[in-house]
Amino acid sequence: MKIAWLLPLGAAAAPLAHVAYAAQYITIEQAQHAAFPEATEFTATALGPDALASVAAGQGWSPRAWRARAADRALGWLFVDQVIGKSELITYAVAIDERGAVTSIEILDYRESHGGEIRLAGWRKQFVGKTGADPVELNKDIRNISGATLSCRHVTEGVQRLLRLYKAALQAQDRT
Amino acid sequence: MTAAPIRRARPLLGTFVEIRVEGLGVARGARAIDCAFAEIAAVHRLMSFHESGSDLDRLHRTRVGDRIAIDARTHEVLAWSARIAASSAGAFDPTVATRQVERGLLPRPASTWTAHPRADWRDVELADSMHVRLTRPLWIDLGGIAKGYAVDRAVGILLDCGAQQVCVNAGGDLRVAGLRAEIVHLRSACGIAAAPAAQISDGALATSGGALAARTWRAARSAASKNGRNGTLADAARTVSVAAPLCVVADALAKVVRAADAAVTRRVLREFAAQALIASPDDSAGAIFGTAA
Repeated sequence: MKIAWLLPLGAAAAPLAHVAYAAQYITIEQAQHAAFPEATEFTATALGPDALASVAAGQGWSPRAWRARAADRALGWLFVDQVIGKSELITYAVAIDERGAVTSIEILDYRESHGGEIRLAGWRKQFVGKTGADPVELNKDIRNISGATLSCRHVTEGVQRLLRLYKAALQAQDRT
Repeated sequence: MTAAPIRRARPLLGTFVEIRVEGLGVARGARAIDCAFAEIAAVHRLMSFHESGSDLDRLHRTRVGDRIAIDARTHEVLAWSARIAASSAGAFDPTVATRQVERGLLPRPASTWTAHPRADWRDVELADSMHVRLTRPLWIDLGGIAKGYAVDRAVGILLDCGAQQVCVNAGGDLRVAGLRAEIVHLRSACGIAAAPAAQISDGALATSGGALAARTWRAARSAASKNGRNGTLADAARTVSVAAPLCVVADALAKVVRAADAAVTRRVLREFAAQALIASPDDSAGAIFGTAA
């Protein structure tokens, strides 16, 4: 192991670029093929407002669903949905087999909102790098972050909600 | 030949686990990442405090004094726990779950007996590489250290698959492997912003204490100063990050730095070739301990 801590140079701390963090993992299409590698076809399925309302009251919930098939055999469903955490927006995909069991959960992308950053100038000042180039800029695309754990509770709740939606609106199609 | 990095994230271990590999093609990279996620899920199933059927669940249901068979991986984590508990004179102790159940912080396991209030890590007896025995009734929680171990296992699998550069991050317990040094950012406790804090190659970093909300910072810090110095290097309001060769060690040592007195902390850091950064939530400077010098 080799480690170099990036510690303060003192009061003359250089300002850091304040970039809200975002990560893009996979596209919807990649998620479809990762969840159902043998599928030959993904058919978008409309989710009516009544079905959505029967599962979760409130506006703005707009999950999307695709039915995965290999030739004429139904393999299951892929849902793509978003949840909003304390300060983050997460897009995720859930694959459900034809018996209604979850087979995979993948995060598609993750975005932190702005705000909360300016008041943290002091926090940032502790770590002003001595490497010359601004490490924030160097690592703009890929950031390894340690510290305050983000809960995945919102995603877990989102998956439960999609399972209820599946039962309410789509399960009947798997039984035909 | 350089292939573009592949990144995936899944909700596992109660947090988001992010894996990045470089040096493998798209198909091989995706397969390697699937294997690594599967291993993390396996570690979770074996070492979960809550899940019925985990090794810990079976241990908590067994009769005290009985030898029970456990997975070699659970055995390995228990062995690390025992070693770090001994080295830190109990500042790290996986049987702290007994106290946490009493205080209602953890649900009561399905044991027929009640844990002995003074039982500790010395009452967990590791036999050969597959068996464990409790010599007094107690409850074990491997939460954080198992998370660190899962990261190490995932890194091992990715390297075995031929990856050249790897980063596995389980909610802040992260390990970097490969030739290139990588910058790790620290997320502040009171918000979403992160700042570059360390440059690591072939090593792990775990952070503890960053979960306090902004409004509790001041209260925690004033409580700590009111209570007077108890001799630890970090008060309640500080974020402790530990860098160590393995993530299983980094995670456990972050708790040691928080709980042990200064002399024990320095000794343990030295023994495990680790370093600690203690950062305050305001604009005062962070301090480093365990630097070889």
